[in-house]
Order: sequence, then structure tokens, then C-alpha cells
Amino acid sequence: MKKRRLISLMMATVMAGGLVACGGGGNDNEAAATTAAKEGGGEATAAETVAAAEGQTVMKWSIWDKDLTLYYQPLIEEFEKQNPDLKIELVDLGSSDYQTVLATQLTGSGSDFDIVTIKDVPGYTTLVNKGVLEPLDAYISGDGVDLGGYKGLTDQIQVDGKLYELPFRSDFWVLYYNKDVFDAAGVDYPTNDMTFDQYDALARQLTVDTPGQEVYGAHYHTWRSAVQLFGILDGKNNILDGNYDFLKPYYEMALAQQEDGVCQDYATLKTSNLHYSGAFSQGNVAMMNMGTWFLSTLAEKIKTGEYTDCTNWGIAKYPHAEGVEPGSTLATITALSIPANAPHKEDAWKFVKFVCGEEGAEILASTGNIPALMNDDIAGMISAMEGFPEDEASKEALQTANLYLEMPVSNKSSEIEIVLNEAHDNIMTGNSTIDEGIGDMNEKVSAVLAQ
Amino acid sequence: MGKTKTIDPAVVQKKLSLLEPRLAELQRQAEAEADPKKKLRLGRQADRMRDKIRQAKTGERFSRQAKRDMVAYSFIAPNFIGFAVFTLGPVIFAFVLAFLKWDGNNAMEFAGLENFALMFGNKRFLASLRNTVIYCLATVPFTLAAALALAVLLNQKIKGRNFFRTVSFFPYVASLVAVAAVWNMLFSPAKSGPVNMILYNLGVGAKSLPKWSADKNWVMFTVVMFSVWKNMGYYMVIYLAGLQGINGELYEACGLDGANTWQRFWYITLPQLRPTTFFVTIILTINCFKVYDIVYMLAGGNTGVLNESAIVLVYHIYEEAFRNWNLGYASACAMVLFLMVLAITLVQFRGEKKYAN
Amino acid sequence: MKIKNTKTRAMRAVLYVVLAVLALVMLVPFVWMLSASLKLDKDVFIFPIEWIPKNPRWQNYGDIWSKIPLSTFVLNTGKLTIIVTFLQLLTSSFAAYAFAKLDFKGKDLLFLAYIATIAVPWQVYMVPQFMMMRSMGLADTHLAIICLQAFSAFGVFMMKQFYEGIPTELCEAARIDGMTEYQIWYRIMLPLSKPSLSTLTIFTFVNTWNDFLGPLIYLTTESKKTLQLGLRMFISQFGSEYGLIMAASVLSLIPVLVVFLSLQKYFVEGVAASGVKG
Repeated sequence: MKKRRLISLMMATVMAGGLVACGGGGNDNEAAATTAAKEGGGEATAAETVAAAEGQTVMKWSIWDKDLTLYYQPLIEEFEKQNPDLKIELVDLGSSDYQTVLATQLTGSGSDFDIVTIKDVPGYTTLVNKGVLEPLDAYISGDGVDLGGYKGLTDQIQVDGKLYELPFRSDFWVLYYNKDVFDAAGVDYPTNDMTFDQYDALARQLTVDTPGQEVYGAHYHTWRSAVQLFGILDGKNNILDGNYDFLKPYYEMALAQQEDGVCQDYATLKTSNLHYSGAFSQGNVAMMNMGTWFLSTLAEKIKTGEYTDCTNWGIAKYPHAEGVEPGSTLATITALSIPANAPHKEDAWKFVKFVCGEEGAEILASTGNIPALMNDDIAGMISAMEGFPEDEASKEALQTANLYLEMPVSNKSSEIEIVLNEAHDNIMTGNSTIDEGIGDMNEKVSAVLAQ
Repeated sequence: MGKTKTIDPAVVQKKLSLLEPRLAELQRQAEAEADPKKKLRLGRQADRMRDKIRQAKTGERFSRQAKRDMVAYSFIAPNFIGFAVFTLGPVIFAFVLAFLKWDGNNAMEFAGLENFALMFGNKRFLASLRNTVIYCLATVPFTLAAALALAVLLNQKIKGRNFFRTVSFFPYVASLVAVAAVWNMLFSPAKSGPVNMILYNLGVGAKSLPKWSADKNWVMFTVVMFSVWKNMGYYMVIYLAGLQGINGELYEACGLDGANTWQRFWYITLPQLRPTTFFVTIILTINCFKVYDIVYMLAGGNTGVLNESAIVLVYHIYEEAFRNWNLGYASACAMVLFLMVLAITLVQFRGEKKYAN
Repeated sequence: MKIKNTKTRAMRAVLYVVLAVLALVMLVPFVWMLSASLKLDKDVFIFPIEWIPKNPRWQNYGDIWSKIPLSTFVLNTGKLTIIVTFLQLLTSSFAAYAFAKLDFKGKDLLFLAYIATIAVPWQVYMVPQFMMMRSMGLADTHLAIICLQAFSAFGVFMMKQFYEGIPTELCEAARIDGMTEYQIWYRIMLPLSKPSLSTLTIFTFVNTWNDFLGPLIYLTTESKKTLQLGLRMFISQFGSEYGLIMAASVLSLIPVLVVFLSLQKYFVEGVAASGVKG
């Protein structure tokens, strides 16, 4: 505090000196000096922004997309109703650089966050490695929380046998399709039980390559997950173990489709920065694999009239490898953690338990988002959402058999992620052949693992 | 003045008896010296000696030089204090970090030169070093030439000068998202991209059309072109300001001698712009070594991950510092960057000094 | 004479053609920004470019004010930019005078310290700097951004180079007339360095106005955030409103252009040279 005053004082002196020297050189200068003077004085009072009532504890919760995410407010309202002595303050750190900003904020000992949202697995392992998160196991066993409802997800995010986060949202990948495109071509809709060969054939059947009227049978967003992770759905392979030969058939399929104009060229998509929603909403994409987070966006944008060429849509389960049960898909989780130096750990745990538990799950589902704690009732709530496709097949597509994390937990997650992204990009742009790309992954990931 | 002490004649005498012969010696040496540079130095030493003698006689506490120093420090202080606290301090800390292993949280460990050893075994680092050097070698001369040409052009009395100046500054101030998007569309990898369309019509085969920023062989070329185009307006502004400092009489004198435009440029404008060029070169070199966002926006795509064909040093530093939180290693990389820039800057400084003499 | 005239005229014509082409190339991104600012997000990145949108969405320019607290962000950014620019100009030109025209102990070393920090990328010392600022209680304050931006080495270096172009004889003459160094700085150097002061103003203004990383790390409370952070609010996890981003970007260009245009008048030959005998 003292130091800050000193600096303000210093600044004010410099300013005043400047004013004398300039002899009223301009209005801007004076305005600046007055604002700065106010700044110096006003800072101390502005520190506590949330007006806490007598005896209330205010807890800071780090999030992103405050105004666009519909479940924050209802979650907080319900929680504060149940716990009148607790108050939650949202701190929006922005979406695009969330994990970087959060990690910087938690660095050292000066942060005062009580609850932090964890956006992805590499970000999670980074924070765990840095030792800034509190292990939750003692709280979980203390309150007897049943982890069975998370369908094994919590086992996949343990680090050295300890759990540092609890998921509240779990999105998984499905196949979106535009019914109008299928109708126009007179082809049956995709089913919930399709092998990759059937999927490939279907995509090719729908493709039209007349210049100016192209229809793309499939669309792959430029993320590596969109193509690379087809390979792990048979449950036999792991994306972390240093051998990637199993990816070959899937890259062959995608590249052949690209070559034949079945899907759009990766290089063009990459350089033009076209978002998957922009691609799908043009109405010339028959099928697109994407996460369930797109459900509510799609429904919303159709409702507001922004999307006019994909209003008749449906979803199907992910295609599967020969001899594997349908419904195996990729998952990505959003979770809550408590920082190791949080000021109110016990109260923070109450909040985590609430959001990740059944009450939180129902609130999430009511806003069209998939909670981590999933059961038939909750799935029913989502498919009952306004704008969700009405056919039975689409509802059934929400049932999953096996969920594999897009990036499993390992203390090398973020380094491996870089290698995988790079190789994916090289293969899809044609900068390296499939064999070269896979060879690259094998070599570099092994090197990372050996460190 | 409180600065004067009581004068003890004996002490003064003693001091003077020491100082005066030294002064005489210096003066003799200076007269005998043939080399003008050495002569100048000896002259300065003699001045200092005279100052000391004067100080001894009057008994002032501070010499003239000390007073002058104080005035100079008072000029620097307002900026330097802020600079030292908020920038220099953290920078020095970052240098120390280069020899440590630290993730920002756990206890620091001394790593010696391990970070540097790791660096030269890291393919991404080596690739980023190579790309950065290529980028600088290509960008610096082109930007310099383009900016100078533009400034000289737009310093003449032509119609719409203000408009053209403003427009040239545009790419620098316009949002990077927008300029990168436009650039990537002009240089679209598709056959239907405007630039590729031209190449195709010129007879380049459809299969061998470059994919520009998505092509490992063309990405650096695309980035260099983009950055020359984007930044030349910025350096043009510096040159414009420099051009205003040139005395118009010089040109007039020259005009009478019948010099043509080119000669005027070569014999007056260019030498007169030397301090500006020196500044622009250093800043431009440093900025080129620190390039990051341009490459990231052009070649990063949706994932924002740069390939070995496009990765640059600062991106590698960013990735190691904030994705993997190897702060020590990142600092070590920055040290390498720093040493390279320092070497280049020192060479430039020396060249400048030589020229000035 | 006549031949020379036609030759100059031809040269002029070529010059204007070159300039026109150049201007076109420079303006393309701006035209794209304008066109994108009138589109729906889904149409912004569609290739080939539709330069004139079929159904221009003028409401984008209204939506940006209601979807995020844009006016607060503009005020914050304006305040920060003005303070930083003012401090930067004052302290840099002050320090640069000493480096250019005074002889003192440790001059080279101090100057080297300035140059050296320019060469270190911010990403490296960002974390230690942040931790230091936080321990001073400056996290999440505008003062942090001011301290970060106002004392840059760049300004000192640039002003020093320009001061060196002003003849030292002028200062010496003034010293003989009995002016103090402060008077020389204020009465002689400042008036003579208008073009360079304008340059520094433009650069500092643009940099502070467009600064993104600094505010991103330091400012977390919404009411304190800046324009560039506001623009990123249109980029959310599952989609980006590029139409709105471009609308706000177009508007955010206006102050920069105003500053540039109003300071341009100082880039006119002879301002610095007048009254100076070279």
C-alpha cells in the first residue's frame, strides 16, 4: 500500500512539473493530469468492488464468456439462495487466452481466487504440475460424493492417483447433418450405427463438384481432433503412447476425400480462418463432425434468423470402426478446481460440489448444455430444448457408450499436444506425406516421453 | 553557498603543488602529439585538471563536472526511475532465470547451463532460430528501402500528399485480424485465389501453385512480403520526421551547382538522414527479431500452433513460457535472442561512431 | 526547356500512377474491414470475398454498444492513452536531452541499459513483472498499465536520435547567453523537435490504444477493461462475431486517424531548419 502511494505521489510530482514546464501547453495535458490525480486518490477505495452485506463471504470464480454462457447466473442464484452467507463474484478472463491468463494469475502467492474453471486438459496438467491446485480427494471422501455418475471421466483426470478437478460440463462429438441436402439428393439420413466405410461412401454419394454449386459430403474443421482422433475410438490405441501408426487409414480417408472434393481443402480453410459454424450454415455441407457445444449455438442462431440454410438439421452418433459398439466418441470436459492458496477453501468446496452435482447438472441441462453428470432424465431435458431436432434418432444420438478424452491426462500433455498439432497440419496441407507425418509424431513424442 | 568549505591555505598549496605540474605535463604532451584523436583526449584530460585546480582554489565541494552530472541525472531521472523499476528490474531477473529451472511456483533450482544445452537439442528451437534469421535478413533491407523511398516521395509537394501519407500508415494501424485476413485471401492457397489465378493464367500448373502461408516452402516468403507491406508506413513516419530536420539551404546551395535529383538525394538527403537511418535500422532489426504476432496470425490457423516451417523465436519463447511453463528455458532462449541483437546493435553503433568521426 | 517540361510532366504522371496503385494496395484491408463490418458472422470469411454485402447489416454498429459496455471501454482506453502519451513525451524528451547534449558519467552504460531492454521480448519478463506489480498492489489497476507503458526505452532512443540532429552550437550559444539546461530544453529543443515529438505522439498513441497483452494480463474487472479487450469479448469459446469485431475495429480507427491527421502538419519541410544555421 505504501509503495503504491509513493508511486502515485511520484507520478503527481512529475505531472505537476510537466505542467509548470509546459506553461499550459494544451488542454489535453491538463485533463491528463487531473485524471491521474483522481486515479492516485481513487484507487484505494475502488479495490473492493462487490458490495458484500454484513457477515457475507465473497468468493471469486474465474470464468470466460460471462454474457454468452447462460448457466452462470442461474447456478449462482440457486447456490446463493441455499447459502445466504456466501456470495459469488464472477471474474471474466476472456475466452481466447483463458488458460494463459489464469495460470499467470495463479502464479506466486498473491492470487485471491476461490474457485477456478479449467478449460482443457493441457491447461489442467499445467496447473497441477505447477502445484497451484488443491487435491479434492479429502473433500470428496469427507462428504461421501459418489463419482460413479461421471462414467469413468474422473478416473481419466487423476494425476498420480489424486483428483484436482471435478467436471461439471462434458461435451462429446457427434455427427451433425443437414437434412435438406440429403433430401435434395434423395439419400437416406445417416444412422446411429455407421462404420467408417459406410460414412465415407455416404459422404461421396452426396458430393456435387459442379463449379459454383458445390456440395460437400463431409466437413472437417481444422482442429486435429476432427480427423486424427477417429483413430482412438476403437479403444485399442492411445494418443499418448508414442506410436501413431494406427492413424494411417483415417488420414488416408480424409486426404482422399479432400483430393476428390468431398470435403473442403484444409489449407484454404486454415488460411481463411473459416469457423465451422460458418461452413455448416452455408447449407452446402451434408455432414460435419463437431462437439455437442454446437447444439445450443445452432438452435439459437436458427431461432434468431441468422442461419437460414441449415434450419433442417439432425445429429447422429459418431461413425465407428468395424466390430466396435456404436456410441464411442470423444469427450472434452470443463471442470472446477480450488487453488491451493484460496482464501475460503471449505466454502469453495461447497460451491464445487453444488455445480458438479445433480442440482448443477439440471441447471446446465435446462440451458441446453451437457453436464458431466449425465443420466436419462438429463438427456431428456436436453433433447426437449427448444430447437433440438424432433426425430427419435437425433435424441438417441445423445446416448454414448464410451467417452475418450480429446487429450488424456499426462504431465507431458501440453508438449505432446504441440507435436500432434504440428504433424496434423503437415499431413493435411500436404507438406508431408502421411508416413512422414506419422514418423515425425512417433519420433518426437518418444523424445518428449523420454525426457 | 553552503558548498564552500573554509579554506586552509596550506592544504590548497599542497594540492596545487601536486596538480599544477601534472597539468603542465599534459599540455606539453598535447602540443607534441600529432594524432588529432589523441590530442583531443589529452586536451580533455587537461580541462579536467584545470577544473580540479579551480576547485582546490575556491574550495567548492563539487567540481563543475559533478554539477554537470547532477543536472544531467535530473533530466534522466523521471524516465529512468520508472524504467528501472518496471522494466529493467524484471529484465535483469529474467536474465538470472536463464540459469534456473522455474515454473513460476515451485522452488527455483539452479540449472547452470542446462537450459542452453536443452535448447540446442530442441528441433523447434533450431527451426525457430533459422526462420527468425531468414526473416530478419529478408525483411530489414526491404523495409528500410521501401520506407525511405516512400518518405522521400511523400515529402515532395504533390497533390493529395496528406491523403497518401495517411493511407500508407493504414496497414500499420488497422486491426491485425483484418489485414491478415485480407492478405490470406489474396494469397489463398486455392486455385481460385486472386494471386494464384494470375499465376495459373501465366502458365503455372495447377498442381504446382504455391499454397503460400500453408506451404512450408513459401510461408516465410509470404510472411516477409506481408510484414514489409504492413510496416513500411511506420518507418516512413520516422523518416518523414527526419527529413524535416534537413536544412533547406543545403538543397538551395546544391541547386545552384546544377545537381540533379539523384545527386541531391545521394549527397545531401542520405548523409543528413544518418541519425534517423541508424535509429530505424536498430529498431527495425530488433523488431524483426521479436516478430511474433504477424506470423501467428498468418500461419497459425485456428489452433494457433506454428509449424517448424514458420515458427519464430518469440513464438517458441511464448510457447515454452505459457504452455509448458518452463520459464528458465524460455529466458535462456531470450538470452540467445538478446545476444544476437546486441551483437548486431554494437556493430551498428561502432559503424555510426566511425562515421561520425 | 520545353523538352524538360514534358519530361517532368511524364515523370509526374508516372509518380501519380505509382502512388494510386500503392494507395489501393494499402486501402484494401480497410475496405475489407468496412465490408465485413456490415455482414453476419457466418459470411465474413466466405471465399471468394463479397466486397459489397447484399444485405448490409447497419445494426452491427448499434449492437456493439449494447452487447458489451463499449463506451466504458472507450473511456478507459482514452484515459490511459492520453496519460501514457503525455508522460511518455515528457519524460522521454527530457531524458533524451541529457543523452544527446550533455556529458556525464555513466552515459554510455545507462544508454546501453535502455537499448538492451528493447531487445528483450516482453513475454520473457512478463511473469516476474506481473508478480512484482501485484506485490505493489497494482494488479487490476490502470496505474499498472500506465507504469508499464509510460517509461519506454523506445521513446528515449528515438528522441535522442532526433536531438542529435539539432546543431550543438545552438545549445552552446544559449549557455553563453546564460540559459540553464532546463531553459535550453524548453526554449530551444522542444520547439525545434516538433516533427519528432509528433512522431512519438503518434506511435505512443497507437501502441497504447491498440495494446492488448498488457491489459489482458493486468485488468480483470470489467469496468476497468480497455477497447482491445472488449473486441475480444466478441470472440467466445464456440464462435466469434467477426461482423461486430470489424464494426468496432472501424470505429476504433477513428481516434488514431484523427491524431495522425492533426499532427501531420508538423511533417512539413523547414519547420526544424528555420532559424538554424547548419
